[in-house]
Amino acid sequence: MKRYLLQKTGGFVLTAILVSILTFFVIQILPGDPALLMLGTEATPEIYARVRMEMNLDKPVLQRYFGWFADFLKGQWGNSWRYSMPVRDLVARAFPLSILLAFLSVGAALLVATPAGMFMAARPKTYSARLISVLTQAGLGLPQFWVGLLLIQVFAVNMRLLPAGGNSSYASFLLPTLTLALPRAAILSRFMRVGMADALRQDYIRTARAKGVSSRAIFFKHALRNGSLAVVTVAGLQFAQLFAGTIVVEQVFGLPGVGQLLLTGVFQRDLPLVQAVVMVIVFLILLFDLAFDLCLGLLDPRIRYE
Amino acid sequence: MRRSSVSVIVVVFMIIALGGLAHGQVLNIAIPQDPDSFDPVKTVAAATSEVAFNIYEGLVKATPEGEVVGALSSHWTVNDSNTIYTFYLRDGAVFHDGTQVTADDVVHALNRARDPEVAVRAGELSMIRDVRSIEKGVEIELYEPNGAFIYTLSEVYASIYPAHAADLARNPVGTGPYYLQEWLPNQELELRRFDQYWSGEKPYFEQANFLIIPDENSMVLNLKAGRVNLIPRLEMTVLHQVENDPNLEVLSAPMNLVQVFSINNAREPFNDWRVRKALALGVDRLAILYGAAWGHGTLLDSALSPSMANFYNDALHEVNPYDPQRARELLKEAGHENLKLTLTLPANYPLHVQAGELVAQQWKALGIQVDLQIVEWGTWLERVYTQRDYDVSVIGLAGRLDPHAILVRYTTNNSRNFFNFSNERYDELIALGLRTVGSDRRAVYLEAQKILAEELPGVFVMDPPQLAAMTKGIQGWRSYPTYVVDVASLYR
Repeated sequence: MKRYLLQKTGGFVLTAILVSILTFFVIQILPGDPALLMLGTEATPEIYARVRMEMNLDKPVLQRYFGWFADFLKGQWGNSWRYSMPVRDLVARAFPLSILLAFLSVGAALLVATPAGMFMAARPKTYSARLISVLTQAGLGLPQFWVGLLLIQVFAVNMRLLPAGGNSSYASFLLPTLTLALPRAAILSRFMRVGMADALRQDYIRTARAKGVSSRAIFFKHALRNGSLAVVTVAGLQFAQLFAGTIVVEQVFGLPGVGQLLLTGVFQRDLPLVQAVVMVIVFLILLFDLAFDLCLGLLDPRIRYE
Repeated sequence: MRRSSVSVIVVVFMIIALGGLAHGQVLNIAIPQDPDSFDPVKTVAAATSEVAFNIYEGLVKATPEGEVVGALSSHWTVNDSNTIYTFYLRDGAVFHDGTQVTADDVVHALNRARDPEVAVRAGELSMIRDVRSIEKGVEIELYEPNGAFIYTLSEVYASIYPAHAADLARNPVGTGPYYLQEWLPNQELELRRFDQYWSGEKPYFEQANFLIIPDENSMVLNLKAGRVNLIPRLEMTVLHQVENDPNLEVLSAPMNLVQVFSINNAREPFNDWRVRKALALGVDRLAILYGAAWGHGTLLDSALSPSMANFYNDALHEVNPYDPQRARELLKEAGHENLKLTLTLPANYPLHVQAGELVAQQWKALGIQVDLQIVEWGTWLERVYTQRDYDVSVIGLAGRLDPHAILVRYTTNNSRNFFNFSNERYDELIALGLRTVGSDRRAVYLEAQKILAEELPGVFVMDPPQLAAMTKGIQGWRSYPTYVVDVASLYR
């Protein structure tokens, strides 16, 4: 266990450094100069040089990278070029929202997908199971921005029940959560069905049945625990993916999350902002990955940490 | 018993309703992106001036008609040689932090705005020799007479703020009718009415929130759902979603933006006037107006928008009519019947991309082989704008209050002249126009526009409309030739 944690931490640091180098240099390579993007068609050489100087762009790339790295470790994340405010403030505002949204939507997805998948596995031939299967197909196929706009149209414009956007009340999280949960529930229910169906075919199930264990206990105890491993893994991945923000849904619902921050940062080549956001995402994902590994061990005692 | 409980409920509701009224009138405005900085000498994004117009004021300010009127100065005088302007400060003007506006604040702000060590746009105020405080105001001395000077004082960079203000980027302190209460990036900017505003008139809305909604469809749905009351710049692609809604109203006005097919005048074969003329005669601008902008907008014959009424040359309609026959003849004359060209389009502007796709068809009909190249904005700025490495492109050039700021772009040595246009007479006229003060300027700029229409740095297409969509009942909308939303003029 100790060795495992040590290895993990080593990989952790290495990944973080690698990602920081990659992000930094990818932004350098991208065509389009941050100073030029700010100035647009009004740029003159004097103004341009002035803005570049303020962004430190007149220094050599390597010097800038190491300068950034040292400052980052010291906790000095600098000012965002686009927003003229400390990157730390921006990050501190965006992440809680994205994490909350990730919790809500994956939670909602699991809440729907688990029983739906179990039902499909238990009664595969019924009309209801087929109907659910068709619905999951639809859930997978519908584009998120369209679902989001449709939900706003119905619940905010026509029925005037829920806010059309923003994050001023708890109710305003309902529609974005629903939009994000829909395709995720579709995927999860399919994994649930396959996992359960697979588990139900295993030898130990036959053994349990032969020993006279009730079919209810077999289904909910033996099969469920083994059949849900894949679902938990996928839900974990979905969760980690949502940390990093959801550009489309944030744009449609006007939510100030990580996705929007990162998108604006990339479009404007706002290096300090992009670097910091990416680093926090990496950190969270690695942390989450570790926690998740340990959790899987609880679910499946056969997993060993070596 | 039952009746009394009903009346209790009614009373409670009335109290709540009254409380709502007492809370004041709130206006919610949707904009697609955040400002960059509220430090007047640092900001470069158009999104900032839209909001900052309500917070900051200069000595003078712009009017919807494109004139300037006194803001912090009640009036001004000019000496006989047109080089010394004396501005008289308004009595009783105070900053948002409660301190009195003094001549020293004005001197400090203007000196900072023209200090190249600090100010991004210091060059725009380089005509100023000296700013001094006098008893009742300030005196500004110019190196030589300058017709554009008074207009530059209405720009954001010439805003006045207290000399003691710190961290203006996030905490602006101005004298405008509203002050910034809170700025939540990617979410909203909350503006509150400034009750000590010098005019003594109180704007109707006590609070104005600029909500950041990047997606244009969701902007419209927010308007329909009532979360938003006003979209100052509606995307044309969603116009049909609001046009027939009885609860909404759309007001259209010229944007003071010049859409132009820029031609690289320095490159073979476009350095041949006949080739440029052929391209111009081959453009069916009306078809582009309908195809790309659904018929909204104003056709242009000049590098100025008709919204610059004082300077616009309206006698140029016949210079470049749609005449494919003559265009073909010109190409033949120039020996370029099999002309090939690359048309570079900026991907982030659907209007320009559509216009480009339409013109490609029109030019193909002349026998020209058009190679379409759609590039990301950063690439466009680098390749077309900065390196001038292109054949033909299309872009919208933002207007200003003063014609010089717009027209100087086409002079030979101007760094923004990505047309590589060069005309001796034109250069003379622009220099002359700047030195000229008063009504004589008009004649100078009329001739300058005529040269552009005839010599063709590019083909001027249209001024797209600025569409302001609002819930019915919002009144007093004023559209400006500059990039602003005037909250103080609105009421319900």
